[in-house]
Amino acid sequence: MNVAHIDELDRIELDDGFVWRPIRRRFNIRAFGVNAYTPREAGAQVIEEHTEERLGHEEIYLVLRGRAQFTVDGNEHELGPGQLVFLRDPSLRRGAVGLTADTVVLALGGKPGFAHEPSAWEAMFAAVPAAREEHWDEAIRVHEEALAEHPDHPALLYNLACMEARGDRHLDALLHLQRAVALEPKWAEYAAKDPDFDSIRTEPGFPAA
Amino acid sequence: MSEGYEILSLDDLGAYPRPQDDGPLLMRLGLKAFGANCWTADVGSHVVPRHEEDSGHEELYVIVRGRATFTVGDETFGAPSGTLVHVPAGATREAIAEEPDTVVLVAGATPGEAFQAFGWEEVVVAFAEGRAGRVEEGRTALHDAAAHRPPSWEHPYNFACYEARFGDVDAAFGYLREAVSGAPSDQIGGYLEGDDDLARLRDDPRWQELAG
Repeated sequence: MNVAHIDELDRIELDDGFVWRPIRRRFNIRAFGVNAYTPREAGAQVIEEHTEERLGHEEIYLVLRGRAQFTVDGNEHELGPGQLVFLRDPSLRRGAVGLTADTVVLALGGKPGFAHEPSAWEAMFAAVPAAREEHWDEAIRVHEEALAEHPDHPALLYNLACMEARGDRHLDALLHLQRAVALEPKWAEYAAKDPDFDSIRTEPGFPAA
Repeated sequence: MSEGYEILSLDDLGAYPRPQDDGPLLMRLGLKAFGANCWTADVGSHVVPRHEEDSGHEELYVIVRGRATFTVGDETFGAPSGTLVHVPAGATREAIAEEPDTVVLVAGATPGEAFQAFGWEEVVVAFAEGRAGRVEEGRTALHDAAAHRPPSWEHPYNFACYEARFGDVDAAFGYLREAVSGAPSDQIGGYLEGDDDLARLRDDPRWQELAG
């Protein structure tokens, strides 16, 4: 049955201290974006600092439990259960810190005037646990699934190439990295310093920074 | 604070009975990418009415506060605060509030389609204004709803219901005539027979002209 308590959702801890609790992926929701976030500990990030300029999403952040200190467009707002911030302007920078360890923030989003497409970053986040455990086949599978929906997403291609290089799939890694750089040349600079590519750096065709 | 964002408490949404209390989040925030609203109800009453989503919306219900008993299809289960319930469009669903002050947030949209608000929230608010004796404010809310939606027979129909309940019977017949002439007969017939909002019109000789 399509029912879960927020405490039963997967916990995927990310580098900035926030923990992604995937809802859209859990239920395979296709019509809008929805996720929950919790902090690693009291005082840690619960919503990462970001804008929605690339995706063009309007977003609601609703505090379900605990307290969160939001910073929106440079202004600070402390919100408790049942309070929300709605950002209609995707260019505004937003982020939040969980003031209590049990804080849960629900995020809803979508792009006005467009059918919703699941965001590619979800796959990159979802692959983190497998990558940490060096289960490269699983990390690659998660990326490949997303690539079917986002075939020309440079960051997704780059991340996939990282996993493939780590997983000894060198030719696939090289081809996906080349494709990422062709779509967005800045990835060549990242690749030049990225230790994920140490195993293929001397291969012919490795993109020059 | 800039115009690009706003802070809101769900408790500040107001409650518009329909019969469970609707907190019109979509309308209040002007959401454009997906639908979202809040529901509250007395203990033992429907906090989510029994329905399917003819609209094609898939919906996610979030129990923000309190506790509800949900039934989705043939399954009934308790849903304390923090529970998420995902329901595809075709499934029948309903929920009963089990604790005072239960709040359920619902978000929805149709997969593969750009979201389009139906405008029923404005109609709910308009009727609440009418019930409160603020008839002119209710008319304004209905006008706003119609002005922001594609043309439809439902707009004059809503005006007819509103005028029949709270306003002017002659105006109600004018709107109803417009609705009937613009609506497919298989769609409006059921409303004419069963809609309590139109009760005041049924003894009038003009009713037979339209509904007969």
